[in-house]
Amino acid sequence: MENCIEVKNLTKSYGNREAVSNLNLTVKKGEVFGLLGPNGAGKSTTIDCILGLKSFENGSVRVLGMNPTKERKRLFEQVGVQLQFSSYQGNIRVGEICEEISALYRSPADYGDLLGQFKLDQYRKQPVTKLSGGEKQKLSVLLALIPQPEVLFLDELTTGLDTEARREVWQILTDLKEKGLTLFLTSHYMDEVEVLCDRVCIINQGHALVTDTVPKLIQNSPYKRLEEAYLWVMKEEIAI
Amino acid sequence: MKKFLTLLKIEGKLSLRCIDSIFFGVCMPVGIMILIGLIAGQNPATTDAGYTLIQSSFGALVTVGICATAFMGIPLTIADYRDKKILKHFFVTPVSPTMLLWVHAVINMLLSMVSALLIYAVAKTFFGYEMIGSKLMFMLSYLLVMVSMYSLGLLIASLCQTVKTANVVCSIVYFPMLFLSGATIPFEIFPKPLQTVASFLPLTQGIKLLKSASLGLETSLLIPLFVLVGSLIIGIILSMRFFRWE
Repeated sequence: MENCIEVKNLTKSYGNREAVSNLNLTVKKGEVFGLLGPNGAGKSTTIDCILGLKSFENGSVRVLGMNPTKERKRLFEQVGVQLQFSSYQGNIRVGEICEEISALYRSPADYGDLLGQFKLDQYRKQPVTKLSGGEKQKLSVLLALIPQPEVLFLDELTTGLDTEARREVWQILTDLKEKGLTLFLTSHYMDEVEVLCDRVCIINQGHALVTDTVPKLIQNSPYKRLEEAYLWVMKEEIAI
Repeated sequence: MKKFLTLLKIEGKLSLRCIDSIFFGVCMPVGIMILIGLIAGQNPATTDAGYTLIQSSFGALVTVGICATAFMGIPLTIADYRDKKILKHFFVTPVSPTMLLWVHAVINMLLSMVSALLIYAVAKTFFGYEMIGSKLMFMLSYLLVMVSMYSLGLLIASLCQTVKTANVVCSIVYFPMLFLSGATIPFEIFPKPLQTVASFLPLTQGIKLLKSASLGLETSLLIPLFVLVGSLIIGIILSMRFFRWE
């Protein structure tokens, strides 16, 4: 299978502090890959570096075989991104933000169809700020799907959502996975990761501790659930 | 181009939904023009002046729209969009975030031009205003004042890290410019010391330029031109140096 995302020896520092240190990871086409770790572990920095939003001292990044900084315009016709803590223009309406994002791409998806699929149709004329947390997150996935991407980046998509909304977003992502979309996500919820991800990489303080499939990761730990296995990996690391 | 126009349409709608930019940029200067017209009518600006108070105020009032967009509209929008990571998000699309900045520059230009045209229409229809000087010279001067003030607005957006500081700085810059430069209150009625201080404001020089263009005065415009072009260059250079997308 071909590699969708290739990160080799990625190193990024802020002043003296190394945020990401010698990170290697590959994500295959059609795979759902989870980047896990505590707050401040370097997850968002890693995503920013992969997307070419931040420069880095060392290493190389390829997404769909392209260099994200040099081939930005071509690459982002095929990549959808949802950034952490991002938000929208003050009084923009749902239909307007969809129209605006669609205008940026050469062959955008029909956002009317997507709105229907995501059950957001009735909010078209509503201001985005009036949506509930779950609806807002669904909208942000929808917007990331407008380019008809091959790869989708989702940074802490479900943080702050209630159980029901979280399930709904999972369902959307599972459907996308079945369609063969490659997903790169970060999350703090291990139940979610267990459901969605094929492979995960656990990082702490910029170092990759382990990269493996979810079943293998659990197998290699003395526990039965990913959450315990995750905590065990983190603890082992401190012991070392 | 289609991308640009779609963005212009949507962002334009968003701008129109904010009442404050319309109020400060369009309604207020038109209101002042009506007031001056009602108070002074066709009276000459000073007893021996060859022009009316309306004629002498016109060049100043058209800058109110520029002032509102340059020191409120542009920097506050940029600071807000940066805060909300909207600018950053454009980096992960095929379109450059610079396009979004251009879209807003055009929106604000249109808004200030609408303001100027409305003032002109009101002054002409109701108070018989006629421009004494060359219209072309006036328009060129207007454009220079506009780009020069916009570059200062961009500079504010570049130097302020958060929306809060941008808000404070905008108020600190906007209100003195509005009241002391002669845009709303005629510069000539200020006491001499205040005139000296106010002359340091770039907009004061801009208004001098517009006034003499609209009145067809034969005065030396070296200082206003120097100040405006200087502000433009300094504004652009420093903005390029300090601008942050996030």
